[in-house]
Amino acid sequence: MEFITQGFVKAVFLLIHLDPATFSAISATLKVSTIAMALSLAAGLPAGFALGYFNFPGKRHIKTLVDTLLALPTVSVGLIIYAVISSQGPLGDLNLLFTLTGIAMGQTLLALPIVIAITAATVENIDSDLKLTLVSLGAARHHILRTCLWEVRYGILAGAVTAYGRVLTEVGISMMVGGNIKYHTRTITTAIALETNKGMFADGMALGMVLIAIAFCVNICLSFLRKQ
Amino acid sequence: MTRTSFAYRLDQVTHFFGDKKVIDIKHLEIPKGSITGLMGPNGSGKTTLLKLLAFAIPPSSGCIFFNGRPEYPFSPKIRSKVTLVTQKPYLLKRSVFDNIAYGLKIRQDIKDLKQRVCRALDSVGLTFDQFAFRQWHELSGGEAQRVALAARLILKPEVLLLDEPVASVDTRSAALIRTASLAARRDWGTTLVIASHDLAWLFDCSDTQISISSGTLFATGREIIIPGPYIPPEHPGQAWTKQLEDGQTILLPARSGAAKTAVIRQENICLGTTGETSHEIDNRIKGQVQSMHLTGQNRQIMATIAMGEMSVMLGTATDQAAAMGLQPGTQITLLFCSCNIIWR
Repeated sequence: MEFITQGFVKAVFLLIHLDPATFSAISATLKVSTIAMALSLAAGLPAGFALGYFNFPGKRHIKTLVDTLLALPTVSVGLIIYAVISSQGPLGDLNLLFTLTGIAMGQTLLALPIVIAITAATVENIDSDLKLTLVSLGAARHHILRTCLWEVRYGILAGAVTAYGRVLTEVGISMMVGGNIKYHTRTITTAIALETNKGMFADGMALGMVLIAIAFCVNICLSFLRKQ
Repeated sequence: MTRTSFAYRLDQVTHFFGDKKVIDIKHLEIPKGSITGLMGPNGSGKTTLLKLLAFAIPPSSGCIFFNGRPEYPFSPKIRSKVTLVTQKPYLLKRSVFDNIAYGLKIRQDIKDLKQRVCRALDSVGLTFDQFAFRQWHELSGGEAQRVALAARLILKPEVLLLDEPVASVDTRSAALIRTASLAARRDWGTTLVIASHDLAWLFDCSDTQISISSGTLFATGREIIIPGPYIPPEHPGQAWTKQLEDGQTILLPARSGAAKTAVIRQENICLGTTGETSHEIDNRIKGQVQSMHLTGQNRQIMATIAMGEMSVMLGTATDQAAAMGLQPGTQITLLFCSCNIIWR
């Protein structure tokens, strides 16, 4: 119990004194997760809307595929991205392995099914009277799309927050694709794994506290949005 | 382009939900600036017809002409001229102001927006200061319906379609909705099509009444639909019947061909006492006067009479009504001959 208390005290010390290694990991985590979320939302919102709003042949199969990808293990995504961006892979020339960009690519792949699935489910549950109301007010197709998305904004935001939580806390992709390089690709989760293995419990705990604080903020947002 | 006095012309319009034909209209014309009352039992096709007229859904076959031009595919331009108020108002998840201004904003017509929203709210009996910045969930059912109507009225539409606008609102809201709807024709010459079970209101305000049953129109409004199910005769030569929920039986003539709805014209029904007899009259159905209404057009008394689950509206002269002692609650007998019932 004592070493946990000591770890906690040292963790507070590291955070208060802006320990460079700790803040480098925090910074890397926030960077890659933000890029991944921006990319997954940009691609996932229109795709999810189309999947939920329109009826087309094969829709059910695509939904099954997307739902399956929700449970994709992070190490599998890491493996796929590693294969694609390693020197022997199709994107090997871009030198993305062991970079934050590479991690962001993997995390985008991780978040994308979540954004698509939740957007599609939310759009599918739109009140059928909404479209009739919009049409009867003279809305054109692009107005209908925009207004429908705005009407279900809280549901979609809840999906985005869920995806952000998954991206923020994953370790498999960051470890495999990023390589856990200090001051470069080391994220909060990979740093916790490494420091704990090294016996640097306080460092791991400091980062763990930050991660829990961010996750707590994310969940507060999610809880607020679910009430809307 | 030729000018036409008809807002709508429907030719051979049908609409199917799956295999089920829900609309089957051979021909219908709705004059510009008129008020058309649409009546019929639940599931008769009123809402579907209004959606077709609102260009919200395309017909399965046939053509809808608007201002003399065939319309399909529907353009946002045509949809901007016609607007529909649904029975269950759907308000966007934003403030009352934004709900009412939505139609103008998407038309990029935002000049004097605040004043126009204020006038639209005023027309449905809501004050700007009290309601404009309330959220959609802070309104009662009647207020939400009035906001939905204001959102349409602000557009000054060429055609205003109302689907049971007063069916689920309080009395005060219903009165305000009726007044505001009719003002649209008075102020802008808007064509109104109103579907409602409030027959007294429909007969009072509309120029033309149309009955609809199983998607088929009965265009005078003077025809009373005897809704199914109908019971076929057990033996050839016997009459078809309609069993009312209160146990009374209406005798029907032999059914012919593909006809599916039994109809009788109002003038073939007599209001009488149970003692009256006639060789021709084989239907004596007891009913109760539910309400009475003085119509504005012919100064007639329109009496709504309930017979089992059926409700019919019959007109009679004021002096005749007085002589019969008609008043709400009066038990009365409807006398008619099955030979005057026709199958459509």
